[in-house]
Amino acid sequence: MTEPRICVGAFAGSYGVRGEVRLKSYCADPAAIETYGLLYTEDGEKSFIVGITRAIKNGFAARVEGIQTKEQADALNNTQLFVSRDVLPSLPDDEYYHSDLIGLTVLDTGGTEIGTVQSVQNHGASDLLEIAGPSLKASVLYPFTVAAVPTVDLAAGRIIVDPPEGIFSEPSDTEV
Amino acid sequence: MSRSVWKGPFVDSYVLKKAEKSRESGRNEVIKIWSRRSTILPQFVGLTFGVYNGHKHIPVNVTEDMIGQKFGEYSPTRTYYGHAADKKAKRK
Repeated sequence: MTEPRICVGAFAGSYGVRGEVRLKSYCADPAAIETYGLLYTEDGEKSFIVGITRAIKNGFAARVEGIQTKEQADALNNTQLFVSRDVLPSLPDDEYYHSDLIGLTVLDTGGTEIGTVQSVQNHGASDLLEIAGPSLKASVLYPFTVAAVPTVDLAAGRIIVDPPEGIFSEPSDTEV
Repeated sequence: MSRSVWKGPFVDSYVLKKAEKSRESGRNEVIKIWSRRSTILPQFVGLTFGVYNGHKHIPVNVTEDMIGQKFGEYSPTRTYYGHAADKKAKRK
């Protein structure tokens, strides 16, 4: 597996004594983890076919093909599970996977590099890009809107931003 | 016990002034505020506020469905990053 991989979950030990495993899912819809087919380890050497049997506290109980005993299930503890980026379904316009946005170079409309996208967050209002770079003292949260981010070029690995006034500068007014 | 209706919604006066000034100027700017307790009013729709969370100003684009809630609700003071996995972001 040489293509980009995305971490979608992890094994968290055994469940019961019949070879079932505890499965933690990091997906937006937790149960979607079993729909992505083969799940790989970080180095891509091992692959697993996972079938969810039921929901349990903090995750799922699952059967893994080839795992029959509790000892085998215990040995998988803390194994992170990855899928190929190509497995994820394509999205409509103006919708992006967080994993695609993270790492993109951020340029302003004049072509000056501001930094890179560190994470994507949503606190209930709109999606926010966390941007960090050498020119910034600390990371900045930036609204992911059409007005503020006119261009997203995944192929070139960059986004162009039209920052509203005051977003990349320190607060000059401190009245409360 | 909820707030008496006759008092009207609470908003710090400086937030109102800043919002009015920004709306009049028509500039594309983030209005930095520290008042997490202020209620979001209908005249704030369309503006972007930078709501302080004790550490930094979180940009909040005000939309109609936020009216009546407090600014602080959209600017959490603790952040859990989690995993990106297959999560999606929509550019609105």
